[in-house]
Amino acid sequence: MHELSIAHRLVDRAVETARDADADQIDRLSVALGEATHVAADQLRFCLDAAVADTLADGAAIDIVRVPPAGQCGCGWSGEPRRLDATIAAPDRRCPECGERIELTAGDDCRLTQIETS
Amino acid sequence: MTENRTHPMPVEPFEEHSSSPTLSQILAPASTGVRRHTGRLTRRPWFRADRSVWSTDCSRWPPSRAEQPATTTPWWLAHRRAHRFGHGDQAHSDDGSGTDGVLAAVRERASEVHDRLSHQHDVFVVEFVGSTGGGKTALAERLLDRWDGRVGVICGDVAGEDDARRYREHGVPVVNVTTGRECHLDPQRVDDALDALSLDDLDTLVIENVGNMVCPADFPLGATVRVLVVSPTEGDDVVRKHPLLFQSVDAAVVNKVDIADAVGADTDRMVADAAEVAPDLPVFRTSVETGRGIEDLAGMLHTRRAHDPHSV
Repeated sequence: MHELSIAHRLVDRAVETARDADADQIDRLSVALGEATHVAADQLRFCLDAAVADTLADGAAIDIVRVPPAGQCGCGWSGEPRRLDATIAAPDRRCPECGERIELTAGDDCRLTQIETS
Repeated sequence: MTENRTHPMPVEPFEEHSSSPTLSQILAPASTGVRRHTGRLTRRPWFRADRSVWSTDCSRWPPSRAEQPATTTPWWLAHRRAHRFGHGDQAHSDDGSGTDGVLAAVRERASEVHDRLSHQHDVFVVEFVGSTGGGKTALAERLLDRWDGRVGVICGDVAGEDDARRYREHGVPVVNVTTGRECHLDPQRVDDALDALSLDDLDTLVIENVGNMVCPADFPLGATVRVLVVSPTEGDDVVRKHPLLFQSVDAAVVNKVDIADAVGADTDRMVADAAEVAPDLPVFRTSVETGRGIEDLAGMLHTRRAHDPHSV
């Protein structure tokens, strides 16, 4: 539901970076999308296609890489958490080692990782 | 043909954080130039004080002094600390987490709202989130009646003044935020709404989010305590359907327990699912009609306020 505002923010960042690099055109945007978010990859791509119109990124190819959640626990465990049964991507927040609640260190954000310009 | 170049996004420098701070470090007054949100809590003592205290009926309420939390840390502030002090490793640079993504920016904005309310004006902020019809407004109304004066309300809805009208009947300042198209409040809208309130005249602020169980999971607002309200009419499988939202809150309420039998909902299942989806999450069973559990919920918020180092 909020993919469009996220898409605009990503494009703004890309354009800003391209301007800083004195580039005339952005050919490709690479986005890392965490799986432990409610941002849908298909909708984000659709919104990015719309958001790049009339910007330096108009017509740019869009790569979206899904990032699985990663976590760490006070007990020293870190790694990819299990998934909750019967859910799409929600991480099991219980530490596989000690059962305490883990904190997520990855997979809960949506960020621009790279742009290609010409 | 012009040169084709790639531009990796700059990444904040990372620095491995040390182990969890000691209690005295957490409680120590701010040193120069550093906010009081220092140290990085990987544990949430509040939830770990004694799991049984929070589990279902709070039969051991209130917890003994030793069990009460020393301090608490909203989850989105953990990210901010990561931003301020750095943690993790270089793998963050391309793994979709780290500190400079769009959702991290939302969390940063939320922490600014938190600064404004909690640090600059000593306002204790409770956010209610949950689906339409779960009883957020009715629950908040009961709490308003318990809190004498100096309470303000920001209520978000897609359209209409209905909730705002109900709150105004309690004689408190209310800012109604109609989002129009958006399905959730965001920190910027809350910040704008705060301009209409006299924050120095408030001890407590209630924020009622738009009725929605999806988007608010990605959009913290800067509240001190975020409370998720669900009810049996949403089905007793509602918890499993919305794991990320449950993982984003500080407490959950199963409201309308008095009608659970009438709609064939098993509240035990809801409470058990919450424990599985969000370990250590305090869960309360309440009924606005019978008054069950309201005392416990109010007590939790009272304790939480007393232990919030920023709003006394």
